Amino acid sequence: MQLEVDIQHKTFTNAAGERLNVLADFKFALGAGEVGVFVGPSGCGKSTMLRILAGLDHDYRGRVTRPADARIGMVFQEPRLLPWRSVEENVRLAAPRVDEAKLSALFAVLELNEHRSHFPGELSLGLARRVALARAFAVDPDFLILDEPLASLDDALAARLREEIAILVDSRSVTTLLVTHSVEDAVRLGDRLFLLSPRPARILADLPIGTPRSARGEAEIAAIKADVARRINGDCIERDAS
Amino acid sequence: MLRLLSFAVFLATWWIAALLAGGQKLPPPPAVLTAIVTEATSGALFFNLGVTLARVAFAFTLAMTLGTAIGYLMGRMRLANRLGDPWLILLLNLPALVVIVLAYIWAGLTEVAAIAAIAINKLPTAVVTVREGTRALDAALDEMATVFAIPRWKAFRHVILPQLAPYIAAAARSGLSLVWKIVLVAELLGRPNGVGFEIGIAFQLFDIPLLLAYSLTFAAVVLAIETVLVQPFEARLSRWRPRAA
Repeated sequence: MQLEVDIQHKTFTNAAGERLNVLADFKFALGAGEVGVFVGPSGCGKSTMLRILAGLDHDYRGRVTRPADARIGMVFQEPRLLPWRSVEENVRLAAPRVDEAKLSALFAVLELNEHRSHFPGELSLGLARRVALARAFAVDPDFLILDEPLASLDDALAARLREEIAILVDSRSVTTLLVTHSVEDAVRLGDRLFLLSPRPARILADLPIGTPRSARGEAEIAAIKADVARRINGDCIERDAS
Repeated sequence: MLRLLSFAVFLATWWIAALLAGGQKLPPPPAVLTAIVTEATSGALFFNLGVTLARVAFAFTLAMTLGTAIGYLMGRMRLANRLGDPWLILLLNLPALVVIVLAYIWAGLTEVAAIAAIAINKLPTAVVTVREGTRALDAALDEMATVFAIPRWKAFRHVILPQLAPYIAAAARSGLSLVWKIVLVAELLGRPNGVGFEIGIAFQLFDIPLLLAYSLTFAAVVLAIETVLVQPFEARLSRWRPRAA
């Protein structure tokens, strides 16, 4: 799936009645099967942009071009599961056409098999996030949107889930947008990195990574990370700049 | 066990009070039991209870269905809320007696008038409760349903309805108790049968055992319906919640 985005202007009126400029001249394109990663400071408008791309927000000036019938899989910042439905029902509700074999394979990768009949209230946040990932992949999406899927998880778990996302993205070749403020996630998962400015968000740099994900060595990853850190001023990236 | 004990305490208190007050004002349990048995053997008890229950069922179903639909609309659509709100406040504060009397005047002393009057009394509380529930719906889950293109009816059933369920259950619970109370008044004023009518007769004849016989069997039926229908239903709805201590 091809994605073309040209948002000239997006404002947002907060509860106090102030108008805030969230996005300005936001322009990029993403090729089929490409994984684009947005890295930027908290509150710069990344989530707003994702909501526009997901078709949840139509109140903006500009154009978003994607196939109208594209199936979207999305992982929100919070898991957003239905507390009154079991793990399996949550996934099947979003993906009614998923067959048992595929579901088992997916649950196996995300280590969810023993939790199938549990209710979300019985899961830890890490598990709930995995269920949200399973749901997004189960729909067999043309367009995958990941909004900080690894935020607030401990490093070891984040690293494992990152591996799992990489495996799933590679096995399907789906056009993916990942939003994160972790350079680590960005460099290990992305094909292209977009560095964003503080609000109103603009694209400061568009950095393609030539080497495929699986072939990236630690040295190369460290080099890209250093490059990214150098391009963004320190206060944008709190924990990963060190 | 505890329930039996509390029932025994109730009986004992009644009996002692009857001895103190004298059988004229408060007949002791055996006198009331005799009245119950007499009414039961003649069939009048079951007939009147049945008639009253049928009225409750009709009025309750009508009010819950309409009330839930209107409450949902008013919670979702600003226009519906602004149009409906004055009516709602009027109905909420209108005494039950006014509605019943007006219904009998306008529609005659008919079954339709009685059921409509009971339903109208219960309707506004259902609307208010469900409207509150609709306002509390989680927008984040709506967005999830939109992104994953879950069809409307499916989203309503699996995303919306479970969120409304506690509110609908609360409306049903409070509404049922309201209907129990109002149905007797409606029967007393304009129906030739039913528990309310019999209590009216007993009142005019000062037949206190008969009055208590109908009141107590009616209370027993209400209790039975609560335990057998309402409580298991509520338990089923909340089975996904972690158990309260």
